[in-house]
Amino acid sequence: MVGATLSRWTMSYFAAALASLIGAEGLMVSGYGFPSAALAAPETLLLVHLVVIGWLSLLMCGALFQFVPVLIARPLYSDALTLPTLVLLLSGLIALLAGFLQLAGTIGPQLPLLPGAAMLLAGGFGLALWTLGRTLWAARPLPLPARFIAVGLASVAATVVFGSVFALVLGGMATEPLMLEVVRIGVPIHVIAGLGGWLTFTAMGVSYRLMAMFMLAPELDGWGSRGVFYAGVLTLAVTILGGCAAIHAGTSLAWVLGLAAPLSLAALILYGRDIRHLYRARKRRLIELNSRMAGAAFANLGAIATLAIVLLALAQFERHIGALVFLFSLGWLSGLGLAKLYKIVAFLTWLECYGPILGKMPTPRVQDLAVERRALPWFILYHAAVWSAGACLFADAPLAFRAAVAAMLVATVGIAAQLVRIRRLADVAMAPSLQSHVSRPSLLFSPAQHA
Amino acid sequence: MTTPSIVDLDVRPILRAGGEPFEKIMQTVNALAPGQGLRLLATFKPSPLLHVLGHSGFSHEAKELDGGEWEVLFTPSAKSDEPVATAAADASRWPAPVRRLDNRDLEPPEPMVRILAAVETMAQGEVLSALLCREPIFLFPELAKRGHRWTGGFEADGVTYKVLVQIGTLGARP
Repeated sequence: MVGATLSRWTMSYFAAALASLIGAEGLMVSGYGFPSAALAAPETLLLVHLVVIGWLSLLMCGALFQFVPVLIARPLYSDALTLPTLVLLLSGLIALLAGFLQLAGTIGPQLPLLPGAAMLLAGGFGLALWTLGRTLWAARPLPLPARFIAVGLASVAATVVFGSVFALVLGGMATEPLMLEVVRIGVPIHVIAGLGGWLTFTAMGVSYRLMAMFMLAPELDGWGSRGVFYAGVLTLAVTILGGCAAIHAGTSLAWVLGLAAPLSLAALILYGRDIRHLYRARKRRLIELNSRMAGAAFANLGAIATLAIVLLALAQFERHIGALVFLFSLGWLSGLGLAKLYKIVAFLTWLECYGPILGKMPTPRVQDLAVERRALPWFILYHAAVWSAGACLFADAPLAFRAAVAAMLVATVGIAAQLVRIRRLADVAMAPSLQSHVSRPSLLFSPAQHA
Repeated sequence: MTTPSIVDLDVRPILRAGGEPFEKIMQTVNALAPGQGLRLLATFKPSPLLHVLGHSGFSHEAKELDGGEWEVLFTPSAKSDEPVATAAADASRWPAPVRRLDNRDLEPPEPMVRILAAVETMAQGEVLSALLCREPIFLFPELAKRGHRWTGGFEADGVTYKVLVQIGTLGARP
């Protein structure tokens, strides 16, 4: 019961994450990568990793360093490693992107960039795992949301192992037949462990607690929620362990994915049921923009899952896999990420600025830091643009796709500008009596708050 | 006379009478000698308590008895890496609360705001009691900075978190 304080570098994680998203959208607008290039082309890989490592993983790490302590009511094991973790992840990302440029022939092959990237990223994710793992380990037995995160962390470890093998082989440093086999058929495992296990499963766990907290809904840990957990764990275990067995045996992954698909569907259906219950059983009737926009992201997830089933039934799944991954990353994960960022940045900034003087003098409320009516149009534009861009991918209209992504880019910049305004207290009318007690917070850093 | 290694506490009569045994349990726990364990008898499996005492460095073995009743044996873990909170306190000798807040229907961080506002109006040594719908983990560092002591835990319903704050007995720290 010692409580939790602000994680010092969380805002830097968020800033680097948003910069990556904006960068990736800029590249898509310029026609770089998919759909102009093939799905497996180095240009597409660069784009995909800028989104999933630069944007989504940095966002997730920054959020977890702050909110794992909230989930388990214990302090973070150590805040000292969060900055080295960020430096390793960012330098690993840059090396990885440069490595893909080497594969594309854009830059020369002199430096072993891909193996270097693998080392840096394994170091960065390893440090994050160490900090979060130690924090969770001390809190056993874990409440259900934290168990989702533990599984998510195991999944990111698997993702990094597969990614490292790819990097070593593509960087020319590994030529063993088994390693080559991993590269030949292991990509779906890498993708499912990353997007499904690490990003989605972790987001699900965090959403159980955050949605209940922000909407005053009951905490869920009934059979349905445990069903989501076990079906999700089985999906990931079948995919990752079964996938390794298939690679070892030299068989195709078809049976593994055939087993994992119905399990993941069961998890998604139960999760959808839980989320619907959280919204319906909430005590707070009028919900904030972040909860409404998270609702849009949940709806996106349901729509994408339905779309995937329809495409499977029509035997069109493989043809449209690029569009599905696009919608999944930018409609579901990014939609939820942007919605939660809008709340988290306001809350953390409020706590940092006004926490020390709460009760001693009148202070603004958290919601006074954000102007929702100004942010709402950007969120609506973002979601409309994502689905338009997705539709353009299905319709094979690359030029229209770039126009739609341009709208996404504008919306993202609009949301980011709102986040900067929140962080700078730009919309808070501060009473003169407060001004001497509250200094404008740093954009990227929260000072240590020693109890 | 040697200290028994296990202290027995039967809260079934309190629960059957519709009472609230949490404070009684925490008083007993706080009075345990180093290394001493607690055998608790209750009319249901006290899951929140398992969690709370787990945080305080106790491991447990829960056993279902006839009629849906439970016996739980809490033993102090051989090593606990829980950092000791200097301000998280034993409230057994605190006076009765002079302020009571029910913050269960408030959206975070309003419960914390109201507790800190109330705390600022109270005199040294006085106790505030507040009901919340979750553990107020951002509140505790703020209480510690202001030199207050607190104790808290989930009530028997498993969803209400009750925190007691005693004003200023640590002396304000810089």
